[in-house]
Amino acid sequence: MTLIRYHVLHETRYVYAHPVSLSRQLLHLTPRETPRQHTLNHHITVDPAPAERGTRRDYFGNLLEHFAVGSAHEELVVVAESTIEVTGQDEAGPPVSPAWEFVRDRLRQVGPAPLLEPSQYLYASPHVEPMAALARYARLDFHRGRPLFESASALMERIHRDFEFDPEATTVSTPLETLLREKRGVCQDFAHLMIGSLRSLGLPARYVSGYLLTLPPPGQPRLVGADASHAWVSVFCPGAGWVDFDPTNCVQPDDQHITVAWGRDFSDVTPMRGVILGGGEHTVDVSVTVTPDDEPMAPGT
Amino acid sequence: MPRQLLAHYPQSGSRYDELLSSPWTLRPHWRSLFDTLARARPEQMAERLGSVRRQIRENGVTYNVYADPRGVERPWELDVLPLIIPPDEWQQISSAIAQRAELLNRILLDVYGPQQMLEEGLLPPALIYGHSGFLRPCHGMAVPGNIHLHLYAADLARSPDGRWWVLADRTQAPSGAGYSLENRLVISRVFGEQFRDLRVEHLASFFATLRDTLTQNAPQGDGPPLTVLLTPGPYNETYFEHAYLARYLGFPLVEGSDLLVRDGKVWLKNLSGLRRVHVILRRLDDDFCDPLELRADSAIGVPGLVDAARQGNVLIANSLGSNLLESGALLGFLPRLCERLLGEPLAMPSLATWWCGEEAALEDAIEKLDHLVIKPAFPQLRIESVFGQDLDRKERAALIARMRARPHHYVAQELVQLSQAPVWDTQHPRRLAARAVGLRVFACASPDGYTVMPGGLTRVASEHDARVIAMQRGGSSKDTWVMTHGAVNTFSLLRRSISPSELVRTGTNLSSRVVENLFWFGRYCERCDNTARLLRALISQHIEHGDVARHALMRLCQHTGLLPDELDTAPTAEIEAAIRSAALDARHPGSLAAGLQQLSGVAFSLRERLSIDNWHIISRLAGDLDSTPADLGEVLQWLDQCVLAMMTLSGFALDGMTRDQGWRFLSVGRRIERLQFMSGVLRHALDEGGDTPDWLLELADSTITYRSRYMTRPQWLPVLDLLVADETNPRSVSYQALGLADYLSRLAAQFGAIESAALSDAVADMLALRADRDFRTGSPHLLDVLQRLSSSAFALSEQLGLRFFSHADTQWPGTLQD
Repeated sequence: MTLIRYHVLHETRYVYAHPVSLSRQLLHLTPRETPRQHTLNHHITVDPAPAERGTRRDYFGNLLEHFAVGSAHEELVVVAESTIEVTGQDEAGPPVSPAWEFVRDRLRQVGPAPLLEPSQYLYASPHVEPMAALARYARLDFHRGRPLFESASALMERIHRDFEFDPEATTVSTPLETLLREKRGVCQDFAHLMIGSLRSLGLPARYVSGYLLTLPPPGQPRLVGADASHAWVSVFCPGAGWVDFDPTNCVQPDDQHITVAWGRDFSDVTPMRGVILGGGEHTVDVSVTVTPDDEPMAPGT
Repeated sequence: MPRQLLAHYPQSGSRYDELLSSPWTLRPHWRSLFDTLARARPEQMAERLGSVRRQIRENGVTYNVYADPRGVERPWELDVLPLIIPPDEWQQISSAIAQRAELLNRILLDVYGPQQMLEEGLLPPALIYGHSGFLRPCHGMAVPGNIHLHLYAADLARSPDGRWWVLADRTQAPSGAGYSLENRLVISRVFGEQFRDLRVEHLASFFATLRDTLTQNAPQGDGPPLTVLLTPGPYNETYFEHAYLARYLGFPLVEGSDLLVRDGKVWLKNLSGLRRVHVILRRLDDDFCDPLELRADSAIGVPGLVDAARQGNVLIANSLGSNLLESGALLGFLPRLCERLLGEPLAMPSLATWWCGEEAALEDAIEKLDHLVIKPAFPQLRIESVFGQDLDRKERAALIARMRARPHHYVAQELVQLSQAPVWDTQHPRRLAARAVGLRVFACASPDGYTVMPGGLTRVASEHDARVIAMQRGGSSKDTWVMTHGAVNTFSLLRRSISPSELVRTGTNLSSRVVENLFWFGRYCERCDNTARLLRALISQHIEHGDVARHALMRLCQHTGLLPDELDTAPTAEIEAAIRSAALDARHPGSLAAGLQQLSGVAFSLRERLSIDNWHIISRLAGDLDSTPADLGEVLQWLDQCVLAMMTLSGFALDGMTRDQGWRFLSVGRRIERLQFMSGVLRHALDEGGDTPDWLLELADSTITYRSRYMTRPQWLPVLDLLVADETNPRSVSYQALGLADYLSRLAAQFGAIESAALSDAVADMLALRADRDFRTGSPHLLDVLQRLSSSAFALSEQLGLRFFSHADTQWPGTLQD
């Protein structure tokens, strides 16, 4: 079992063509506490200084920071800094899971004692609409009677094989049909696609946003998705609970993935979402730096 | 029994008949009204029908079918005969609806709270977690008084056996209560005696209860509780009702842009600053209410509203998220939920409805498609309801395919044979016809549980399709008379007489949005007038080949952006095309057509405050644009009409509007625009140099005054005296600038000082101009004054906007230190 301490620096900078007189923002930038992850230090700075500011928990239990800037500004900078301890998995081998149809049927059961928590992640959400085409895609790996964990791993591998990482191919609003046809996109798209495939079979899946270690460990290839927010998938496996899969890198997230928030899809955990008055055209610049504790932070980041 | 009335009335259908218990036999509660109809002379009935039409027209009762700024408003359809409901029957309806409102409120408390009903399996998770109306940001929010539903409506229908059924629930912002009230005012006048003799229950105390319950549950602080009615705006199909209810209940009618959230509280922007809002009665859909936490693309919401409600600083009625219960998919689960939550059986059944998200229900629905209507499971889906029996083979297969692809999007509902009620056949002097009817009833929360409005909106199907009741599809409506055994409560919210102490002189609390619209109404009127005059002068010179003047005017038009720059050496055809486009092409920014479009948009938002005549004038001009004038001669004629129309509008403002602050802002807008235009035109003319141009007087509409004073052709000295210094000439720069300064001092007297030093300095220098020194071309003093008047007018406009309209300059209580 490993224990790694990380520093994460996540900076978002908006530059507007005209002054913004009022800006209200919601931030999902605070890492969650999980059994394998503990936050030692966390701090968000906002420039210019907000007139109002607060923190609360959202529906999914994520920490949500919100603020309002009421003075005219042409630039808005939000910096989230965290120090986090992540515990690696034991070498226990893959969890034992039931056949996927068993999980599906259990969730379909109408009547007392429904599985409410997983049901939250079973239906259509703004970016993920279950559909027959996605079910067909998933069925290539979800054979009759196959254990859920094994099937989900196979689906992750298939997505990794079939799809090409291409930051130019998609936008936040590219529909899953297009993605399935074009087979190019970024981590967010692959996560949505895998979630959609699982939900189309009647299986709960949630969207996890977070970070990935920037520096490749010696002898291993550099992981794609570094230096930006990352996203992956969590699948409900009775017995083991929620199990994470990263279809972008074809791994099961371990001590190199830092969880920030989870929800039904990207829209529930958008790192920064807001409404402004004025501003006109804008540019946004996001930079993420993840540094293990024993390495010095690069100056000026 | 007078058979003539019933000669064409269908008496032996399969429907329940509200009027007859068997052929030729009246139900007892119809006897009195029927006798009145039978006795009435044809002229009397014609007079009654005329009165209904007249009242609807005069009260401006409309229902927007296609929301269009040109005003495609359909007059409200109202049948002269009410639907009458006897006391005992009403008792049953009323207690069933009160029970249902209570039940639905309890369900919302549970779903947005502990979710015990899901835990117990009484509500399938799919219906909540899979419903886009389940607003997660609103989960866990306490609602004042534990009331989610302040106003609730149910659509009822009566089956052939006489039983009432619920077809649908309206839980987020039910419409129709205001139309019911309007129907009542009209019909109770037409049948005054019968209304009294039948002891028909009045509606007013219901609305008083609604108002009082809202006030009682309002959060405290910052003065007495203020309730506003939040509307999506004049394009909404039931906008008339929003305005009508707001007036009736005494609540300001506001749009999202009238409100802002600061310090977790909601504020109404008005001329005097910000006023705390405690209660919002909303007609905006749930997800449009707050672009920050709900639909990000909503331009009509209030950013931060959800959080203000979360903090308990504003009561929103109905609560955000109440749309959830409009899902037809829930209907089948209500009986057990009622037993569980209220410990009693559900008093009025819902029409059998199955949610296709359950596999068995889907197969059943497909099998019995001919006997079902297929509807969207969630209102957000915007799926049209379809009658299985209407489909041919191909359509049927397509529907089944859609249902199989997304079964959770559909519910299947049994068909009901709607009951029929008599309507007056307006084509004949003495004849009753029958139409299918449904009844929308309303309940509101009160300290003692739910109160049901004794009446309702009876909706009448069109002649052509007795299965569908929709105002959108040409349906009509009726007043609903609920009889009582007891005494009638004659309480009224409409004040019959007003005492001297209640006299109102000025409109206080004018909303910033209304004032801003009036300001821009003034500016756009003036701008259109100026543009029309300028184009008119140019076209006249062009046609008459006055080359010097034509070039000077073209340069002026280029300077103001009306004409493109590289036109001087262009062929005539190209010049003419550019001129036509400057007049008629609304896509060309700055064109007269674009100005008229802006004017029309602003006027549309102001139609509560502008007389209908204003509206006619503007829509007529805009209508002319559709039949594009072909040659410049015709354009010239149209420009004449525009100038005339703008003068008429300005006459209305002068002659027809009260001198309140709104009027003052309209006038300020006009003056700013005219001051900018005139000083710009004068500077341009002076720059051109040479002889005094004729067109200068023409643009300033001062030719006649000049001629009556001076028997010579125009010369700089007298022209500049008339157009700059003459304070009696309403087109002169002095007249505008001094008037503007005067308005500002009046506004300052009421609202505190307004920063206008630049304007006062320019005015002082303007008054110091000397005729002998400055009224000629090349005077640096004159050019400087004109330039500064123009720029200070521009700055003033910006500043008024910040101060009175957007309130962006109001300081926040404090800036937090990080």
